[in-house]
Amino acid sequence: MGLRTGTFHENYAQDMAIFHSGLQWGIAVAFIIFLFACPLFFSDRILTILTTMGIAVISVHGLNILTGYCGQISIGHAGFMAVGGYTSAILCAKLGWPFWVALPCGALAAGIAGLFFGLPSLKIKGFYLIMATIAAQFIIIWTIIQLRSITGGADGLSVPKPAIGSIILSSKTNYFYLVMVFTCLATLLAKNIVRTRAGRAFIAIRDNDLAAEVMGVSLWSYKLQAFFIGCVYAGVAGSLLIHYFSFASTDQFPFMDSVWYLGMLIVGGMGSTTGAIFGAVALKLLDELVTMVGPILSAAVAPQAAASLALISHGLIIIIFLIFEPRGLHHRWEIIKAYFRLWPFSHQEIE
Amino acid sequence: MVKIKWMFLASLAILLTAAFLLPVSAQAEKKLYVGGTQSLTGPFAEDSAAVLAAIEDYVKYVNETKNLAPWRQEKFPADITLEVMWRDDELKPPKALSIYEELKAKGMLVGRISGSPIALALKDRLWEDQMGATSMATGPYYLSPPQSCFTYYPIYTDSLASIADWFKANWKEARKPKVAYLTADNAMGRSIEIPEMKAYLQKIGYEFVGTQYVPLVPTSPPTTQLTWLKQKGVDLALGVMINPGSQPTVKEMVRLGIGPNQPYKMTFGVPAPGHAAVFAAAMGELGDGYVCAGSFRPMDDLATPGIKFCSDLQDKYRPGKRVTHIMYEAGILEAMIQVEALRLAMKKVPFEKLTPRDVLVHGFYQIKNLPTGDISSTPLTYGKGDIEGVDEIRIDQVQKGKSVTVGIFPVRHIFTKK
Repeated sequence: MGLRTGTFHENYAQDMAIFHSGLQWGIAVAFIIFLFACPLFFSDRILTILTTMGIAVISVHGLNILTGYCGQISIGHAGFMAVGGYTSAILCAKLGWPFWVALPCGALAAGIAGLFFGLPSLKIKGFYLIMATIAAQFIIIWTIIQLRSITGGADGLSVPKPAIGSIILSSKTNYFYLVMVFTCLATLLAKNIVRTRAGRAFIAIRDNDLAAEVMGVSLWSYKLQAFFIGCVYAGVAGSLLIHYFSFASTDQFPFMDSVWYLGMLIVGGMGSTTGAIFGAVALKLLDELVTMVGPILSAAVAPQAAASLALISHGLIIIIFLIFEPRGLHHRWEIIKAYFRLWPFSHQEIE
Repeated sequence: MVKIKWMFLASLAILLTAAFLLPVSAQAEKKLYVGGTQSLTGPFAEDSAAVLAAIEDYVKYVNETKNLAPWRQEKFPADITLEVMWRDDELKPPKALSIYEELKAKGMLVGRISGSPIALALKDRLWEDQMGATSMATGPYYLSPPQSCFTYYPIYTDSLASIADWFKANWKEARKPKVAYLTADNAMGRSIEIPEMKAYLQKIGYEFVGTQYVPLVPTSPPTTQLTWLKQKGVDLALGVMINPGSQPTVKEMVRLGIGPNQPYKMTFGVPAPGHAAVFAAAMGELGDGYVCAGSFRPMDDLATPGIKFCSDLQDKYRPGKRVTHIMYEAGILEAMIQVEALRLAMKKVPFEKLTPRDVLVHGFYQIKNLPTGDISSTPLTYGKGDIEGVDEIRIDQVQKGKSVTVGIFPVRHIFTKK
């Protein structure tokens, strides 16, 4: 762990702390203040982008715990989001439960679905596990469509806006705050999970599952725990997404989103909480940039030039990162931090 | 030094992105926007590209001539310029949401829906903002309030009801004809599975057999589904499909000896996304018997004023780059509706004070008998609770490799029970 020149750790607690100095605390607090002040100076459109970005960050945190830390690659994350989202939607729309009760139930349902589809991970890994999680995505969506009387099938389901007491979170600002609170909590929780015994077991399994087992790490228990935790995150994200639209539809959870969530993790840097944030923000920003560039490109080159631009650019960015920076934006961020750690002296003098 | 250079470049990129994202300030000239969200990526990419091209051409025409169509006398206000504003939503609801917010922030007063997933995501939001929108999707979800999305061909259930009417009118046998759904396995295809549709079919004397699903774009021939229909003795199969779905389905029907001109007699009918003109051009005589309700006319039918108009626009604005896709006609219709809504609204409210609500209430709701040069089945009429536009549905059948009009039936409004 790199420390700023002149900073030393004297005990284990200091070593494991999330923030190591007053400056880091200050930056974190300033960032949170800035984040919650966003509605004061940003338009509805930017708040919409930030809200969907926040939801993506929560989802990618879950995938990061499962794939980045525990090494269990999942391409069914959007399916697990659908479980959480639909559970919450059904509880609110059909049973009239409040959002605050429905959301944890949705998260729990997604976690249980994760446990179920995580069972194959005890026997298979790598490419075969990827295929199993892809199957999960399709089975979940198929089931939702078939359970028409409960889920509304392909027509979807109208969902009431979430409310705190008598305050209905119908405005973009209200919902932005809601999502940001969840995003901050999810980030803090993700950071803490990694520092627990379970977090260390996840990393051990990812690095070498045989060695981990020999050391006494229960693969059965920890792999399923990773699936459960990762999918709980997905459930929260799915629930927030569906309540944001006030509508539940399987079209909100396409297979390609599962692929892009993994792409976000690659771009951001697997096995890093900061990387998960970077990845989600970077690909969402790229998405917006491409959306704006499309009409310009179309006018300048040809009408068809804008078609599939997002797919192409996303794919290209992922390939570029895999080749040139497989450790993702998080690694770049560490390099930048390392530079400033030594600032104003770029080289330490060795006597 | 190299690192500082990289940091500078990164900062510049962030600033540029932020500059793009920040809302645009007030417009200097008198400009109104048409267009809206498009699905240039995904299954509707071809359709959307043709729609976009048509909207662009129509806007150029109105800006240059201030006319609304060759057959119309009204003029668009001379001091106002139209501009096309669009973004590619990739048929992804979250993306459509941010695009909608962006276009709204930039001063767009009319919206657009590019497909069922987008319709389901934006429908309520459009109503909250009291914004009227034209829609390429026509599912029954539009018929339950709130209603601020307007279609220019009938919703799928009404289209299928008209095919059922036509088939029943030509039914000669004493027994009840058997009907089943053979439909696309997505939101669009399944949107016909409403109790009112089944009740209507039974009311007019059909025996309802069941439903079979085919992928939106089949990856293998739907042999099992078709064999099931044959075993059940189905006479009429109804479904919602786009051409990439209906063409392989009908090819497989012919291979299995199923069809109006085949040993096993069964007619297959779909609503407008499976346009008969496109189907006939691609399938030729192999597709004989295929029925489509609310279909657009073939692009070479220059005797129809609307099609002639489409052709003239393309001659003028895209020589050598003609769009042959039939959804070009849809784009002209959408542009006509949006421009007409804006024009009507400006008759009540001055340009400077125009809001989306004004365009909805004084524009879209006031469109009555809008002549479309016969591109749509009938002139378009909208109002509160009246979002379908057309009053009658034209039924086309592929005969000897050509799309032939075989009937026109009134819109039954089976979902709204109007």
